[in-house]
Amino acid sequence: MGEVAIKVSNLNKTFNSFKAVDSLDFQVERAECFGLLGPNGAGKTTSMKIIYGMTEPDKSKDTVINIFGFSPGSDALSIKALSGIVPQQDNLDIELNVTDNLLIYSKFYGIPAKEAKTRIEELLAFMELQEKAKAKVRELSGGMQRRLTIARALLNKPRLLILDEPTTGLDPQVRHLIWNKLRELKDKGVTILITTHYMEEAFQICDRIIIMDKGKKIIEGNPRQLLTDNLEKYVMEIYGACRDESLCLDFFKENGIRYEFFMDTLFAFCSDSSVLAKFGETLGNGDYHIRRSNLEDLFLKVTGRSLNELQ
Amino acid sequence: MNFSNAYAYPSLYKRITSIWYRHFRVYISNFFSNAFPPFLEPIIFLAGMGIGIGAYIQNMGSMSYVLFLASGLIVTSSMYTASFECTFGTFIRLEFDKIYDGMLGAPISPGNLIIGELLFVGTKGFFFSFAVLFVIWIMGIINYPLSILSVFVGFLTGVMFGVLSMLITSFVKIINHFNFYFTGLLTPMFFFSGVVFPIENLPKALAFIAEIVPLTHVVRLARAFCVPGSFQAGLLLDLLYCVVFTIVVGWFAVKGLKNRMVT
Repeated sequence: MGEVAIKVSNLNKTFNSFKAVDSLDFQVERAECFGLLGPNGAGKTTSMKIIYGMTEPDKSKDTVINIFGFSPGSDALSIKALSGIVPQQDNLDIELNVTDNLLIYSKFYGIPAKEAKTRIEELLAFMELQEKAKAKVRELSGGMQRRLTIARALLNKPRLLILDEPTTGLDPQVRHLIWNKLRELKDKGVTILITTHYMEEAFQICDRIIIMDKGKKIIEGNPRQLLTDNLEKYVMEIYGACRDESLCLDFFKENGIRYEFFMDTLFAFCSDSSVLAKFGETLGNGDYHIRRSNLEDLFLKVTGRSLNELQ
Repeated sequence: MNFSNAYAYPSLYKRITSIWYRHFRVYISNFFSNAFPPFLEPIIFLAGMGIGIGAYIQNMGSMSYVLFLASGLIVTSSMYTASFECTFGTFIRLEFDKIYDGMLGAPISPGNLIIGELLFVGTKGFFFSFAVLFVIWIMGIINYPLSILSVFVGFLTGVMFGVLSMLITSFVKIINHFNFYFTGLLTPMFFFSGVVFPIENLPKALAFIAEIVPLTHVVRLARAFCVPGSFQAGLLLDLLYCVVFTIVVGWFAVKGLKNRMVT
């Protein structure tokens, strides 16, 4: 185990009577990329906001929140001075242009003007925004605004980068660019705390994840390890499976295959793809699809397939 | 890039002035549209009222009516600009543009943010009062050198109406509700605080209300600087009112707005 960057234990947050975060525990090491996953309303954003002091947790004696040695309750400014924050919704200053957004923000960190100027040039280049230096925020595309928000979060050369759904709503090019940049930062020793519900994102950049549901931690570990430990290697999706249900189920029972129905699709899980392929031969072409199981299957397995009232 | 330096947050002074600077920067980026109307408005107002009403009313007590009116306008211009800034402006930054959310991601506390904004509003009040004073000088209505000090009353007015407006904003959920504040509070204040006519001869109840509302006190202070020989000990009470009002209302405004920024 390396040095601990973030330690959270018995974190609770109740809004009126709604329990948004329920006895959450986790620990993040320095220079690690840690992902909080879960459906909408699972408590990811609330947990993040508690870490940098924008939301106050329920008061309790045995709650511990330690961020690089600081507690958000008494030392939110210190935490924010060493962190970069990328919120779920871009909150750039739309009354200022791109460069001024960064310039004014650098003043909030107390960065001397001269240093800020070189830093801003560096960051605009890093986020591939040089050509937009004088553009108004409103003129930027969603992906550019997102990159500018990330650039803003890097002004103070943060030790901890907090990103709340950084790539939601962005096209694949921008997503890959952002993932690349995040990996680059991680290599430089930046600790990253990220929320997402893109399973691929978690798989691409997270060293460890927790999956949350209804404010509680359900599962924790390295994404690859979690897959091998909790899921069969292959999944067969059978469409319109209700037509000859009994045929399928008999076969699955015989071969000890785990299965799940969702609407009119049947999901069959098995570590041996040849067994699934053999069964596929009995079905019509195009009625089924065999693939490697992924984090999304795990996510759905642990949080359930049906929607909750917050989604 | 090097990612391991010291992470001390800036001093309180720097945090507050950086917020002030943000507003200043936004303000001067539209300098012409922002700086022109403060000069134009008193010209229109004084020309209209002075030429129109001034033809019928030459004197108001010991001074000319135009001087009486002009010395009141020095603070009402500040009152209006501060009130717009800290109602619609603050609300939009808080709810629509999420500008405060962005600022609070940096080492800035909600209190720093609000105080920095209030200082800016005071500065804006200072500038608006100056614009009125400048017009009055050019028009030859005032030539008393000490009148330059009334711009500081403009600053005070800006901060006072800034805290009052922020307190209102901390309650408002729908932006249209500010209409109640402007029509229900500011407009009557404009007419019943000794700007357009003296309050001394108002019916007792109205005169009492006039003493409770903030505008009356800053009007008195501003006028004292504009009219030679009008200083008197009672002005200290007006000043005391302004200080107490700013601190008490300001405390509730900070508390209320903070609750809307941090959940």
